Amino acid sequence: MNNIVDIIFRVLNGAGASSIIFFSTIIFSLPLGLLITFAKMSKIKVISYFASFLISILRGTPLMLQLFMWYYGPYYLFHVSFGLKWRLPAIIIGFSINYAAYFAEIFRSGIESIPVGQYEASSVLGYTNVQTFTKIIFPQMVKRVIPPVTNEIITLVKDTSLAFAITYTEMFTVAKQIAASKTTIIPLLVAGIFYYIFNDIVAFVMSKIEKSFNYYK
Amino acid sequence: MSLFEIKNCKKQFDGNPVIDGISFKVDEGEVVAIIGSSGSGKTTLLRICTFLEYMNDGEMSYLGKKVVTSENGIAKYIGQNKLSIDAMNNNKELTKIKNYFGLVFQNFNLFPHWTVLKNIIDAPISVEKRNKEVVIDRAMYYLKKMGIENKAYNYPCELSGGQQQRVAIARALCMEPKIIYFDEPTSALDPELTQEVLRVIKELANEKRTMVIVTHEMNFARDVADRVIFVDNGVIVEEGNAKEVISNPKMERTKKFLQKYED
Repeated sequence: MNNIVDIIFRVLNGAGASSIIFFSTIIFSLPLGLLITFAKMSKIKVISYFASFLISILRGTPLMLQLFMWYYGPYYLFHVSFGLKWRLPAIIIGFSINYAAYFAEIFRSGIESIPVGQYEASSVLGYTNVQTFTKIIFPQMVKRVIPPVTNEIITLVKDTSLAFAITYTEMFTVAKQIAASKTTIIPLLVAGIFYYIFNDIVAFVMSKIEKSFNYYK
Repeated sequence: MSLFEIKNCKKQFDGNPVIDGISFKVDEGEVVAIIGSSGSGKTTLLRICTFLEYMNDGEMSYLGKKVVTSENGIAKYIGQNKLSIDAMNNNKELTKIKNYFGLVFQNFNLFPHWTVLKNIIDAPISVEKRNKEVVIDRAMYYLKKMGIENKAYNYPCELSGGQQQRVAIARALCMEPKIIYFDEPTSALDPELTQEVLRVIKELANEKRTMVIVTHEMNFARDVADRVIFVDNGVIVEEGNAKEVISNPKMERTKKFLQKYED
């Protein structure tokens, strides 16, 4: 019994590291995603093509591979080594940029789903392009993208376990280490339960946010 | 001086002429109805008048101020060199001119995330920088006129189509425009709701507001408009006193068009 409590506490410790990856990625990838959306929707062809290219690379290659690139890349490309302290920044950069690409496409589809009449009404009333976006298009876009964004965020909770690939000690890494040293799968089950609970909370919070936009159709 | 004048307006979409040299004027206090079958170019004409579309050639002026001039057969908008919607949206000169007119759309195009009141007051406050209290007073006055002052704090989705269209009219009025354009304002409404919207437009006509109305409601056009313009294939086929043209058309094409409305 003591054994299980010990396992739970050690896995829970790893959950802290997972949360850091999770929240940092949310904080950085959402605005970065919007920026990539703007780039992709830009009237300047070069910028738009570059954004499309970036998105295709980020979505078209495994996230685990991208994490390796961010972690080992500086050494192999420039022969600079930041040592182990580079591990967390590399993970956060890798996750944020990867998720930004997915968010960018979600935001773009959200913006493009707003009826053209909204732009026209706004234009006739004399709003500038910036006002039209910030006051009229963006708030409506947010409502429309919440369900697909929720999907991505739930995936992100589980994807944080990929940091295990570069041996960052988040929840999954801890669970696997204990499992290996004690030859039991219980730590992995415990980790699984924690991921599930975490995602239940995420789904609950997101459904609250979604409901808070129900005051209009 | 006319409030609005357009001369020899031409518009092509991918080389196909949609408007092929249309000229007309709107004087102060006048109600002009534009009629014609679908695809005749009347909605495009209205979109050109309200800067939602650019013309390829022609001239346009508001209150005597030249907005578009014709240079070597190509339209030249003040304050911009390129013919594009984007350039027009960023054009400060045109934004000033937008003060002179309002537009009521077929599909209302209210902002769904804002209350009725916010829909009406936001542009006067944040675009025209008018005093908030004064604007709210005006908005409530217009909502009352439209018979929906009790809906000020509702969202558009809680209103019927007819009520939404009356909000859209109040929104246009609150900008205190010189001319109000209506683009088939009742086409998305059932007959009952159509009547309530037509009634408020008629009231505005009685107050001598200057209006240009694209419509399929012939009885309404005859009763409310001073002048009617019949557009077909991108040109004006016939125009004149509303009662005369609609009751007694001279051109064959107009007769044929109006016959469809007789039953």
